[in-house]
Amino acid sequence: MSRGEPVDEAMATVRVRLFASLREQAGWSEQLVTVQAAEATPLSLWQQLQLPSGGAGNTMTGTDLGWPEGIRVAINQAFAALDSPLADGDELAYLPPISGG
Amino acid sequence: MITQCTIQLREQAFEPLEVLAAWHAGLGQTDSLEGGAAAGSAESSTAVPVAADLPAAEAHFIGRVRGSTTTGERLQALELEHYPGMTERQLEQLTRRCAANHGATAVLVWHRVGRIFPGETIVLVAVAADRRGPAQRCGQELLELLKHEAPFWKREWSRDGNSQWLQGNTPL
Repeated sequence: MSRGEPVDEAMATVRVRLFASLREQAGWSEQLVTVQAAEATPLSLWQQLQLPSGGAGNTMTGTDLGWPEGIRVAINQAFAALDSPLADGDELAYLPPISGG
Repeated sequence: MITQCTIQLREQAFEPLEVLAAWHAGLGQTDSLEGGAAAGSAESSTAVPVAADLPAAEAHFIGRVRGSTTTGERLQALELEHYPGMTERQLEQLTRRCAANHGATAVLVWHRVGRIFPGETIVLVAVAADRRGPAQRCGQELLELLKHEAPFWKREWSRDGNSQWLQGNTPL
């Protein structure tokens, strides 16, 4: 990186996707969001996008993060942690509680 | 060991016993059937394998849509949403991992997506192995994994036009 160019000013564009009940609560299914790459995580984007904190079960985890219990995150179509880093071009999905089979 | 994994997401109804018959026709072969190769090839089931070529043990699970909602009303239809791309990828990974853990020789997973009516098959899992233990254990584990680790979401439509997204799975 070049001198005098703080890393945290590098911007990243992330495609955010919502599914099922979450998509209907939020009223959109996907959007492109540009964020500061060094600081962006699935959790920070969730807060920034003001996604429904009541989420699926209306129960918060005890961590005070405002993260609805049961919501999972996928980055580039693989499950990921809430504090994973995000890079330019990533696809980030918020997944309400799964019910398959 | 090479495990034959056959994975399909289907928008149309399917008859599980016909799918199994077609699957049997391919079980004598050693080359891996990639997901999709078995699709729509029910005709090939006329090539009945020699019985001695079939695995010694097989476990099957057929899951059907029940006729009532979780709140006890008559169900009109079940809608199944998925995450195109990730769902297939997860199914493939879960199937391969589970088959390897249990030493299964072949695994088939067919799963419906879209609108499904009461009584229709929503999921078919079949596991072939050399013994009953691995076949049944692999089948049960894979079924639980795909219910919890593959991105599918069910929505119940009742006859009065109301709908409700399910927030998890029914108990084992």
